[in-house]
Amino acid sequence: MAILETYNLKKIYGSGENEVHALDGVSLEVEQGEFVSIVGTSGSGKSTLLHMLGGLDRPDDGDVFVDGKDIFSLGDEELTIFRRRKIGFVFQNYNLVPSLNVYENIVLPIQLDGREPDKKYIDSIIETLGLTEKLDNLPNNLSGGQQQRVAIARALAAKPAIILADEPTGNLDSKTSQDVMGLLKITGERFSQTIVMITHNEEIAQMADRIIRIEDGKIVSGK
Amino acid sequence: MKNDVLLLVLIIVSAVAVAYSIYCHIRMRQQTRKLDEMLDKAIDGSFTESCFDESQLSYIENKMWKYLSSSEISARKTAEEKAKIKTLIADISHQTKTPVSNILLYSELLSECDLSDMEKDYANRIFAQSEKLSFLITSLVKLSRLETGIIALSPKENDIAPMLRDIVVQAQAKADEKGLSLKLECGDEKAVFDEKWTNEAVWNIIDNAMKYTDNGSVKITVKEYEMFACIEISDTGRGIPEAEQAQIFSRFYRSENTSYEEGVGIGLYLARQIVSSENGYIKVMSEVGKGSTFSVFLSKL
Repeated sequence: MAILETYNLKKIYGSGENEVHALDGVSLEVEQGEFVSIVGTSGSGKSTLLHMLGGLDRPDDGDVFVDGKDIFSLGDEELTIFRRRKIGFVFQNYNLVPSLNVYENIVLPIQLDGREPDKKYIDSIIETLGLTEKLDNLPNNLSGGQQQRVAIARALAAKPAIILADEPTGNLDSKTSQDVMGLLKITGERFSQTIVMITHNEEIAQMADRIIRIEDGKIVSGK
Repeated sequence: MKNDVLLLVLIIVSAVAVAYSIYCHIRMRQQTRKLDEMLDKAIDGSFTESCFDESQLSYIENKMWKYLSSSEISARKTAEEKAKIKTLIADISHQTKTPVSNILLYSELLSECDLSDMEKDYANRIFAQSEKLSFLITSLVKLSRLETGIIALSPKENDIAPMLRDIVVQAQAKADEKGLSLKLECGDEKAVFDEKWTNEAVWNIIDNAMKYTDNGSVKITVKEYEMFACIEISDTGRGIPEAEQAQIFSRFYRSENTSYEEGVGIGLYLARQIVSSENGYIKVMSEVGKGSTFSVFLSKL
């Protein structure tokens, strides 16, 4: 069963002469447990697509189904709750809360949702990501790679249906990037997570099971 | 007087109403908790009929119990089915081992006899095909053992260099035969891996690299990362089209570009299973006509 499905997604910016089709009829399916990367140059529409998959931006036309649910049929408030429960985000700039330690950052989304963290599950994520000894540290005391590992743990902690990663290695050197990507892949496999990642970096994209290429708002290969 | 009675009745009625709503609330909470517990147990896989207390359960709990126990049964059936298939593979693999090694032996003996060129050619083909069959069967035995958990890997901290040196010694003959240069660059990197099985995984990749490289070189380099040590195997072979790159690790996948004579499509799958069960992963970068680089990442934790 496809955990994520989009149908004929369109997004148009501007109008008349200046009309830009950021997305021009994008339909794709991602299976449960798949690791997919979306590659394209800047301006190709890949960020717009990722934002729509995560319900951060509404399309002008078309649908997004996450776990069988048409996410844009939800009201703003419902969508926020849905996003918090079903989607884990990993951003380029980590977005960790500087005043909370590593462990608190990891369980934050669960606590925001008023749930109890699943201790056993979270411990095993922490161990896989090699963060066991860093739990009491504040984000500022960590290297970029370590911070991104915390962000991956945070994304996994709420057991989301999918993880969306937006240039997760954009701020890291190539060696650290490889480390972080490896761990993302291994944790994805181990916890059977579905991962959709956008990147413009070919080498990073190769880590995925499938590469979707996007140009001028259209999928050109990998569908 | 009449008013007093009315007031009293009113008070009693509202007290009853409050009591009733408190009762309902408590009951609802109990039921929710119960449903929650049942679900938790089912998710854990420990759901049994004993979780079901008939006297207390309402209609909806009853329905849920039916649903959960049926999904429990179907999960068990799937697991049994899976176990049967795995046993079958294991049986087939074991039972064919002896006849296949006999075929190997006799075809080798046959080709040493005084035969015509054509006969010799046939004997050699039988030998080559049975060698392939033997590799396939041993790989299947290993896979089924690995997947049924009969054998578990025991990764521990090891030096990478000795393992690679062993493999290179093993591979040198084939490289010489094909006129390929085989290079190893390795320092004192360490990682956590199971020596015997990882050797197998890396060997399969190097063997593949030599198989699909007609001239040039196969180079093995070890790189170090914060969380991983990486064994990189680069060849100057024919390369893999991008669309096929993800599929090459699946069971029995062979590129349309590989001829019948080559490979059986199990080596990379086995390699990937081995490496991922010791918390590592394999990555491929390739360009058609220029060659391929397989990177085996071994965890340092």
